[in-house]
Amino acid sequence: MTDADKLILLRELLLDEDRNFANKILEKIENLNETVNIDEKLSEKVEPIINRKLTTFVDEIPVKLGPTITEALSEQIKNSQDEVVNILFPILGKMIKKYIQSEMKTLSDNINAQINQKLSFKYWYRKFMSFFSGVSEIDFVLADMAKSKVLQLFVIEKGSGLIIASHTNTDTIDEDLMAGMLTAIKSFVEDAFIHGSQNLELIEYELYKIYLQNFPSYYIAVVISGKFDAVFKNKVENDLFDFANKHIKKNIGNKEYIEKKLKEYFIHA
Amino acid sequence: MHNSKKIVLVGHFGVGKSSLIRRYVKNTFSDDYLVTIGVHIVKKTVQIGNDELTLIIWDIEGKEDMQKLRPSFLLGTSGFMYVFDATRSSTYINLLAEINFIETHYPKINLVTVANKLDILDKNTFEKIKEKHKLRVDYYASAKTGENVELIFNAIAKNLIK
Repeated sequence: MTDADKLILLRELLLDEDRNFANKILEKIENLNETVNIDEKLSEKVEPIINRKLTTFVDEIPVKLGPTITEALSEQIKNSQDEVVNILFPILGKMIKKYIQSEMKTLSDNINAQINQKLSFKYWYRKFMSFFSGVSEIDFVLADMAKSKVLQLFVIEKGSGLIIASHTNTDTIDEDLMAGMLTAIKSFVEDAFIHGSQNLELIEYELYKIYLQNFPSYYIAVVISGKFDAVFKNKVENDLFDFANKHIKKNIGNKEYIEKKLKEYFIHA
Repeated sequence: MHNSKKIVLVGHFGVGKSSLIRRYVKNTFSDDYLVTIGVHIVKKTVQIGNDELTLIIWDIEGKEDMQKLRPSFLLGTSGFMYVFDATRSSTYINLLAEINFIETHYPKINLVTVANKLDILDKNTFEKIKEKHKLRVDYYASAKTGENVELIFNAIAKNLIK
Protein backbone atom coordinates (compact mmCIF):
# COMPACT_ATOMS: atom_id res chain seq x y z
CA MET A 1 0.00 0.00 0.00
CA THR A 2 1.36 3.32 -1.08
CA ASP A 3 1.31 6.43 1.04
CA ALA A 4 -1.52 7.83 -1.07
CA ASP A 5 -3.64 4.71 -0.47
CA LYS A 6 -2.95 4.92 3.22
CA LEU A 7 -4.03 8.55 3.25
CA ILE A 8 -7.30 7.69 1.44
CA LEU A 9 -8.00 4.86 3.92
CA LEU A 10 -7.27 7.13 6.88
CA ARG A 11 -9.53 9.85 5.47
CA GLU A 12 -12.36 7.34 4.96
CA LEU A 13 -11.94 6.02 8.49
CA LEU A 14 -12.03 9.52 9.97
CA LEU A 15 -14.78 11.06 7.85
CA ASP A 16 -17.16 8.10 7.35
CA GLU A 17 -18.98 8.65 10.64
CA ASP A 18 -19.46 12.39 9.99
CA ARG A 19 -20.76 11.69 6.49
CA ASN A 20 -23.35 9.21 7.84
CA PHE A 21 -24.44 11.71 10.44
CA ALA A 22 -24.75 14.45 7.83
CA ASN A 23 -26.82 12.12 5.62
CA LYS A 24 -29.22 11.37 8.47
CA ILE A 25 -29.69 15.08 9.18
CA LEU A 26 -30.34 15.70 5.51
CA GLU A 27 -32.95 12.92 5.49
CA LYS A 28 -34.68 14.43 8.54
CA ILE A 29 -34.69 17.88 6.99
CA GLU A 30 -36.30 16.44 3.86
CA ASN A 31 -38.97 14.70 5.98
CA LEU A 32 -39.64 17.92 7.87
CA ASN A 33 -39.78 19.82 4.62
CA GLU A 34 -42.37 17.36 3.31
CA THR A 35 -44.41 17.57 6.51
CA VAL A 36 -44.46 21.34 6.47
CA ASN A 37 -45.10 21.80 2.77
CA ILE A 38 -47.50 18.95 1.98
CA ASP A 39 -50.96 19.83 3.34
CA GLU A 40 -52.11 16.25 4.02
CA LYS A 41 -49.02 15.43 6.05
CA LEU A 42 -49.17 18.70 7.98
CA SER A 43 -52.85 18.28 8.87
CA GLU A 44 -52.20 14.68 9.98
CA LYS A 45 -49.73 16.00 12.56
CA VAL A 46 -51.45 19.21 13.63
CA GLU A 47 -55.12 18.15 13.66
CA PRO A 48 -54.99 16.03 16.86
CA ILE A 49 -53.24 18.87 18.70
CA ILE A 50 -55.83 21.43 17.57
CA ASN A 51 -58.68 19.08 18.50
CA ARG A 52 -57.21 18.55 21.94
CA LYS A 53 -56.81 22.28 22.49
CA LEU A 54 -60.33 22.94 21.23
CA THR A 55 -61.84 20.38 23.62
CA THR A 56 -59.96 21.93 26.56
CA PHE A 57 -61.05 25.39 25.45
CA VAL A 58 -64.73 24.36 25.23
CA ASP A 59 -64.52 22.71 28.67
CA GLU A 60 -62.98 25.83 30.17
CA ILE A 61 -65.39 28.35 28.64
CA PRO A 62 -67.89 28.29 31.57
CA VAL A 63 -65.11 28.72 34.14
CA LYS A 64 -62.86 31.18 32.35
CA LEU A 65 -65.27 33.15 30.23
CA GLY A 66 -68.53 32.66 32.20
CA PRO A 67 -68.04 35.55 34.66
CA THR A 68 -66.78 37.88 31.87
CA ILE A 69 -69.77 37.03 29.64
CA THR A 70 -72.21 37.52 32.54
CA GLU A 71 -70.60 40.84 33.42
CA ALA A 72 -70.65 41.99 29.78
CA LEU A 73 -74.29 40.94 29.40
CA SER A 74 -75.31 42.70 32.62
CA GLU A 75 -73.53 45.86 31.50
CA GLN A 76 -75.10 45.64 28.03
CA ILE A 77 -78.61 45.12 29.47
CA LYS A 78 -78.08 47.97 31.92
CA ASN A 79 -76.98 50.33 29.17
CA SER A 80 -79.70 49.44 26.71
CA GLN A 81 -82.78 48.68 28.81
CA ASP A 82 -85.24 50.02 26.23
CA GLU A 83 -83.84 47.79 23.47
CA VAL A 84 -83.96 44.75 25.80
CA VAL A 85 -87.57 45.52 26.75
CA ASN A 86 -88.48 45.88 23.07
CA ILE A 87 -86.95 42.48 22.28
CA LEU A 88 -88.28 40.62 25.32
CA PHE A 89 -91.72 42.18 25.53
CA PRO A 90 -93.32 40.20 22.66
CA ILE A 91 -91.79 36.92 23.90
CA LEU A 92 -92.75 37.44 27.55
CA GLY A 93 -96.16 38.78 26.55
CA LYS A 94 -96.86 35.60 24.57
CA MET A 95 -95.70 33.40 27.46
CA ILE A 96 -97.84 35.23 30.01
CA LYS A 97 -100.84 35.19 27.66
CA LYS A 98 -100.44 31.45 27.12
CA TYR A 99 -100.12 30.79 30.87
CA ILE A 100 -103.21 32.89 31.69
CA GLN A 101 -105.20 31.18 28.91
CA SER A 102 -104.23 27.76 30.24
CA GLU A 103 -105.09 28.72 33.87
CA MET A 104 -108.41 30.27 32.78
CA LYS A 105 -109.27 27.11 30.88
CA THR A 106 -108.54 24.97 33.96
CA LEU A 107 -110.64 27.29 36.11
CA SER A 108 -113.47 27.29 33.58
CA ASP A 109 -113.36 23.47 33.34
CA ASN A 110 -113.49 23.19 37.12
CA ILE A 111 -116.45 25.59 37.33
CA ASN A 112 -118.31 23.73 34.57
CA ALA A 113 -117.63 20.38 36.23
CA GLN A 114 -119.02 21.64 39.54
CA ILE A 115 -122.08 23.25 37.92
CA ASN A 116 -122.83 20.07 35.99
CA GLN A 117 -122.76 17.79 39.03
CA LYS A 118 -126.56 17.76 39.11
CA LEU A 119 -126.86 14.79 41.42
CA SER A 120 -124.85 16.31 44.23
CA PHE A 121 -126.28 18.04 47.28
CA LYS A 122 -123.92 20.97 46.69
CA TYR A 123 -125.48 21.54 43.23
CA TRP A 124 -129.01 21.95 44.62
CA TYR A 125 -127.77 23.92 47.62
CA ARG A 126 -126.01 26.39 45.27
CA LYS A 127 -129.14 26.67 43.05
CA PHE A 128 -131.27 27.33 46.10
CA MET A 129 -128.86 29.91 47.57
CA SER A 130 -128.37 31.61 44.22
CA PHE A 131 -132.14 31.85 43.66
CA PHE A 132 -132.84 33.43 47.06
CA SER A 133 -129.70 35.56 47.48
CA GLY A 134 -129.34 36.87 43.93
CA VAL A 135 -125.63 35.91 43.91
CA SER A 136 -124.72 34.06 40.73
CA GLU A 137 -124.00 30.35 40.87
CA ILE A 138 -120.50 30.90 39.46
CA ASP A 139 -119.64 33.25 42.33
CA PHE A 140 -120.62 30.49 44.78
CA VAL A 141 -118.38 28.01 42.91
CA LEU A 142 -115.48 30.49 42.91
CA ALA A 143 -115.87 31.14 46.62
CA ASP A 144 -115.95 27.39 47.21
CA MET A 145 -112.74 26.89 45.24
CA ALA A 146 -110.82 29.52 47.23
CA LYS A 147 -112.01 27.93 50.49
CA SER A 148 -109.36 27.11 53.08
CA LYS A 149 -108.39 23.48 53.37
CA VAL A 150 -106.38 21.65 55.99
CA LEU A 151 -103.83 19.54 54.11
CA GLN A 152 -101.48 18.25 56.77
CA LEU A 153 -101.20 18.21 60.54
CA PHE A 154 -98.16 17.56 62.71
CA VAL A 155 -98.28 17.21 66.48
CA ILE A 156 -94.72 17.94 67.58
CA GLU A 157 -93.00 17.76 70.96
CA LYS A 158 -91.65 21.17 71.99
CA GLY A 159 -87.88 21.43 72.32
CA SER A 160 -86.88 18.06 70.93
CA GLY A 161 -88.93 18.48 67.74
CA LEU A 162 -89.85 14.79 67.85
CA ILE A 163 -93.08 13.88 66.12
CA ILE A 164 -95.96 12.80 68.37
CA ALA A 165 -98.42 12.19 65.53
CA SER A 166 -99.13 13.42 62.04
CA HIS A 167 -101.62 13.16 59.26
CA THR A 168 -101.39 14.14 55.63
CA ASN A 169 -103.39 13.49 52.49
CA THR A 170 -100.63 14.70 50.17
CA ASP A 171 -97.08 13.52 49.54
CA THR A 172 -94.63 15.25 51.82
CA ILE A 173 -91.04 14.97 52.93
CA ASP A 174 -90.19 12.76 55.86
CA GLU A 175 -92.39 13.69 58.85
CA ASP A 176 -89.48 13.42 61.33
CA LEU A 177 -87.34 15.84 59.34
CA MET A 178 -90.31 18.16 58.77
CA ALA A 179 -91.01 18.23 62.53
CA GLY A 180 -87.33 18.80 63.35
CA MET A 181 -86.87 21.61 60.87
CA LEU A 182 -90.14 23.33 61.89
CA THR A 183 -88.97 23.21 65.50
CA ALA A 184 -85.55 24.60 64.56
CA ILE A 185 -87.16 27.47 62.60
CA LYS A 186 -89.61 28.16 65.41
CA SER A 187 -86.82 28.14 68.04
CA PHE A 188 -84.62 30.37 65.89
CA VAL A 189 -87.33 32.97 65.33
CA GLU A 190 -88.46 32.93 68.96
CA ASP A 191 -84.85 33.26 70.17
CA ALA A 192 -83.68 35.83 67.69
CA PHE A 193 -86.49 38.24 67.03
CA ILE A 194 -89.06 38.05 69.77
CA HIS A 195 -88.51 39.28 73.28
CA GLY A 196 -90.48 37.76 76.11
CA SER A 197 -92.49 34.59 75.87
CA GLN A 198 -94.14 35.01 72.50
CA ASN A 199 -94.48 32.25 69.94
CA LEU A 200 -94.14 31.98 66.20
CA GLU A 201 -97.70 31.59 64.89
CA LEU A 202 -97.62 31.50 61.11
CA ILE A 203 -95.24 30.62 58.30
CA GLU A 204 -96.37 31.68 54.82
CA TYR A 205 -95.18 29.82 51.76
CA GLU A 206 -96.81 31.34 48.66
CA LEU A 207 -100.16 29.51 48.35
CA TYR A 208 -99.69 27.61 51.61
CA LYS A 209 -99.64 28.64 55.23
CA ILE A 210 -98.34 26.70 58.20
CA TYR A 211 -100.28 27.67 61.28
CA LEU A 212 -98.62 26.81 64.61
CA GLN A 213 -100.73 26.37 67.71
CA ASN A 214 -98.77 26.10 70.96
CA PHE A 215 -99.61 23.94 73.95
CA PRO A 216 -97.50 23.52 77.11
CA SER A 217 -95.43 20.51 76.04
CA TYR A 218 -96.13 20.29 72.33
CA TYR A 219 -97.38 22.32 69.38
CA ILE A 220 -99.52 21.51 66.37
CA ALA A 221 -98.47 22.60 62.88
CA VAL A 222 -101.34 22.80 60.41
CA VAL A 223 -100.60 23.13 56.68
CA ILE A 224 -103.40 25.09 55.03
CA SER A 225 -104.16 25.92 51.42
CA GLY A 226 -106.54 28.62 50.17
CA LYS A 227 -107.70 31.78 51.90
CA PHE A 228 -106.57 31.99 55.53
CA ASP A 229 -108.62 34.75 57.12
CA ALA A 230 -109.49 35.59 60.70
CA VAL A 231 -112.69 33.52 60.56
CA PHE A 232 -110.88 30.37 59.41
CA LYS A 233 -108.02 31.00 61.86
CA ASN A 234 -110.55 31.21 64.67
CA LYS A 235 -112.19 27.96 63.54
CA VAL A 236 -108.83 26.13 63.31
CA GLU A 237 -107.83 27.47 66.72
CA ASN A 238 -111.08 26.28 68.32
CA ASP A 239 -110.86 22.90 66.61
CA LEU A 240 -107.26 22.42 67.74
CA PHE A 241 -108.05 23.28 71.37
CA ASP A 242 -111.05 20.98 71.29
CA PHE A 243 -109.04 18.18 69.65
CA ALA A 244 -106.11 18.57 72.05
CA ASN A 245 -108.46 18.42 75.02
CA LYS A 246 -110.39 15.39 73.76
CA HIS A 247 -107.71 13.29 72.09
CA ILE A 248 -104.14 14.37 72.85
CA LYS A 249 -104.17 15.18 76.55
CA LYS A 250 -104.68 11.61 77.73
CA ASN A 251 -103.12 9.82 74.76
CA ILE A 252 -99.62 11.26 74.39
CA GLY A 253 -97.46 8.34 73.32
CA ASN A 254 -100.32 6.61 71.51
CA LYS A 255 -99.37 7.72 68.01
CA GLU A 256 -101.77 5.39 66.22
CA TYR A 257 -104.81 6.64 68.14
CA ILE A 258 -103.98 10.34 67.70
CA GLU A 259 -103.35 9.89 63.96
CA LYS A 260 -106.67 8.07 63.49
CA LYS A 261 -108.48 10.88 65.27
CA LEU A 262 -106.59 13.60 63.33
CA LYS A 263 -107.82 12.05 60.10
CA GLU A 264 -111.40 11.85 61.31
CA TYR A 265 -111.42 15.29 62.85
CA PHE A 266 -109.66 17.49 60.33
CA ILE A 267 -108.99 16.01 56.92
CA HIS A 268 -112.44 14.62 56.26
CA ALA A 269 -114.34 17.11 58.35
CA MET B 1 -90.92 -1.35 69.91
CA HIS B 2 -90.20 1.78 67.87
CA ASN B 3 -88.82 4.88 69.49
CA SER B 4 -87.30 8.23 68.42
CA LYS B 5 -84.52 10.09 70.18
CA LYS B 6 -82.83 13.38 69.46
CA ILE B 7 -79.06 13.59 69.60
CA VAL B 8 -77.04 16.76 69.09
CA LEU B 9 -73.49 17.10 67.80
CA VAL B 10 -71.60 20.05 69.23
CA GLY B 11 -68.07 21.39 68.92
CA HIS B 12 -66.02 24.05 67.18
CA PHE B 13 -66.47 24.79 63.49
CA GLY B 14 -64.57 22.60 61.05
CA VAL B 15 -64.04 19.69 63.44
CA GLY B 16 -65.98 17.30 61.22
CA LYS B 17 -69.43 17.06 62.82
CA SER B 18 -71.26 17.11 59.49
CA SER B 19 -68.73 14.71 57.98
CA LEU B 20 -69.23 12.22 60.81
CA ILE B 21 -73.00 12.38 60.29
CA ARG B 22 -72.68 12.07 56.51
CA ARG B 23 -70.39 9.06 56.96
CA TYR B 24 -72.85 7.46 59.39
CA VAL B 25 -76.08 8.16 57.49
CA LYS B 26 -74.95 8.06 53.84
CA ASN B 27 -71.56 6.36 54.13
CA THR B 28 -69.91 9.09 52.07
CA PHE B 29 -67.14 11.61 52.64
CA SER B 30 -66.05 14.78 50.87
CA ASP B 31 -62.89 16.82 51.39
CA ASP B 32 -64.77 20.00 50.49
CA TYR B 33 -65.63 21.98 53.59
CA LEU B 34 -69.20 23.30 53.67
CA VAL B 35 -69.95 25.30 56.75
CA THR B 36 -73.22 24.43 58.53
CA ILE B 37 -75.45 27.44 58.96
CA GLY B 38 -77.99 27.19 61.77
CA VAL B 39 -78.86 23.56 61.98
CA HIS B 40 -79.16 20.55 59.70
CA ILE B 41 -81.33 17.63 60.72
CA VAL B 42 -81.01 14.06 59.50
CA LYS B 43 -82.28 10.74 60.76
CA LYS B 44 -81.29 7.11 60.81
CA THR B 45 -83.16 4.13 62.13
CA VAL B 46 -81.12 1.46 63.90
CA GLN B 47 -82.07 -1.96 65.15
CA ILE B 48 -80.98 -2.59 68.74
CA GLY B 49 -81.95 -6.15 69.67
CA ASN B 50 -85.71 -6.32 69.31
CA ASP B 51 -86.09 -2.57 69.44
CA GLU B 52 -86.03 -0.14 66.58
CA LEU B 53 -84.67 3.31 67.36
CA THR B 54 -84.83 6.36 65.11
CA LEU B 55 -82.02 8.77 65.80
CA ILE B 56 -82.96 12.32 64.91
CA ILE B 57 -79.51 13.86 64.57
CA TRP B 58 -79.15 17.63 64.93
CA ASP B 59 -76.00 18.95 63.34
CA ILE B 60 -75.54 22.38 64.88
CA GLU B 61 -73.26 25.06 63.44
CA GLY B 62 -69.86 25.09 65.11
CA LYS B 63 -69.23 27.49 67.97
CA GLU B 64 -65.95 28.14 69.76
CA ASP B 65 -67.76 28.53 73.02
CA MET B 66 -70.56 26.23 74.22
CA GLN B 67 -72.16 29.14 76.02
CA LYS B 68 -72.81 30.82 72.67
CA LEU B 69 -74.91 27.89 71.42
CA ARG B 70 -78.61 28.56 70.94
CA PRO B 71 -80.12 26.84 74.02
CA SER B 72 -83.42 26.12 72.25
CA PHE B 73 -81.57 23.84 69.79
CA LEU B 74 -80.41 21.71 72.73
CA LEU B 75 -83.81 21.27 74.39
CA GLY B 76 -85.29 17.78 74.50
CA THR B 77 -81.95 16.18 73.66
CA SER B 78 -81.30 12.62 74.74
CA GLY B 79 -77.60 12.58 73.91
CA PHE B 80 -74.73 14.93 73.15
CA MET B 81 -71.69 14.17 71.05
CA TYR B 82 -68.87 16.66 71.60
CA VAL B 83 -66.59 16.47 68.58
CA PHE B 84 -63.11 18.00 68.38
CA ASP B 85 -60.34 17.97 65.81
CA ALA B 86 -57.35 15.99 67.10
CA THR B 87 -55.06 18.02 64.84
CA ARG B 88 -56.19 21.46 66.08
CA SER B 89 -55.41 22.16 69.71
CA SER B 90 -57.76 25.17 69.79
CA THR B 91 -60.70 22.76 69.41
CA TYR B 92 -59.87 20.74 72.55
CA ILE B 93 -57.85 23.08 74.76
CA ASN B 94 -60.99 24.02 76.72
CA LEU B 95 -62.56 20.57 76.50
CA LEU B 96 -62.92 20.04 80.25
CA ALA B 97 -64.59 23.41 80.76
CA GLU B 98 -66.93 22.75 77.83
CA ILE B 99 -67.88 19.31 79.18
CA ASN B 100 -68.40 20.83 82.59
CA PHE B 101 -70.73 23.46 81.08
CA ILE B 102 -72.86 20.83 79.30
CA GLU B 103 -73.02 18.53 82.31
CA THR B 104 -74.01 21.40 84.59
CA HIS B 105 -76.77 22.72 82.33
CA TYR B 106 -78.00 19.36 81.00
CA PRO B 107 -77.21 17.05 83.93
CA LYS B 108 -79.28 14.02 82.98
CA ILE B 109 -78.15 13.80 79.39
CA ASN B 110 -75.50 11.39 78.11
CA LEU B 111 -72.42 13.00 76.62
CA VAL B 112 -69.61 11.38 74.69
CA THR B 113 -66.46 13.06 73.42
CA VAL B 114 -65.02 12.16 70.04
CA ALA B 115 -61.53 12.97 68.72
CA ASN B 116 -61.96 13.18 64.96
CA LYS B 117 -59.48 13.28 62.04
CA LEU B 118 -57.36 10.42 63.36
CA ASP B 119 -56.48 9.64 59.74
CA ILE B 120 -54.17 12.69 59.79
CA LEU B 121 -52.66 12.34 63.25
CA ASP B 122 -51.18 9.15 64.63
CA LYS B 123 -53.17 7.83 67.61
CA ASN B 124 -50.00 7.35 69.73
CA THR B 125 -48.98 10.97 69.15
CA PHE B 126 -52.42 12.08 70.24
CA GLU B 127 -52.23 9.87 73.37
CA LYS B 128 -49.30 11.99 74.55
CA ILE B 129 -51.30 15.20 73.93
CA LYS B 130 -54.23 13.67 75.77
CA GLU B 131 -52.05 12.90 78.79
CA LYS B 132 -50.45 16.34 78.73
CA HIS B 133 -53.76 18.22 78.65
CA LYS B 134 -55.65 15.62 80.72
CA LEU B 135 -58.35 15.36 78.07
CA ARG B 136 -61.43 13.19 78.33
CA VAL B 137 -61.65 11.22 75.11
CA ASP B 138 -64.34 8.56 74.87
CA TYR B 139 -63.85 7.68 71.20
CA TYR B 140 -61.38 8.17 68.38
CA ALA B 141 -62.75 8.47 64.87
CA SER B 142 -62.08 9.38 61.29
CA ALA B 143 -64.98 10.53 59.15
CA LYS B 144 -62.67 10.21 56.14
CA THR B 145 -61.84 6.53 56.58
CA GLY B 146 -65.04 5.71 58.47
CA GLU B 147 -63.05 4.33 61.41
CA ASN B 148 -65.27 3.87 64.48
CA VAL B 149 -68.06 6.12 63.14
CA GLU B 150 -70.80 3.49 63.10
CA LEU B 151 -69.52 2.06 66.38
CA ILE B 152 -69.85 5.44 68.14
CA PHE B 153 -73.38 6.22 66.94
CA ASN B 154 -74.51 2.67 67.67
CA ALA B 155 -73.02 2.87 71.18
CA ILE B 156 -74.98 6.08 71.77
CA ALA B 157 -78.14 4.43 70.42
CA LYS B 158 -77.68 1.40 72.71
CA ASN B 159 -77.18 3.70 75.66
CA LEU B 160 -80.39 5.61 74.83
CA ILE B 161 -82.52 2.49 74.64
CA LYS B 162 -81.48 1.22 78.10
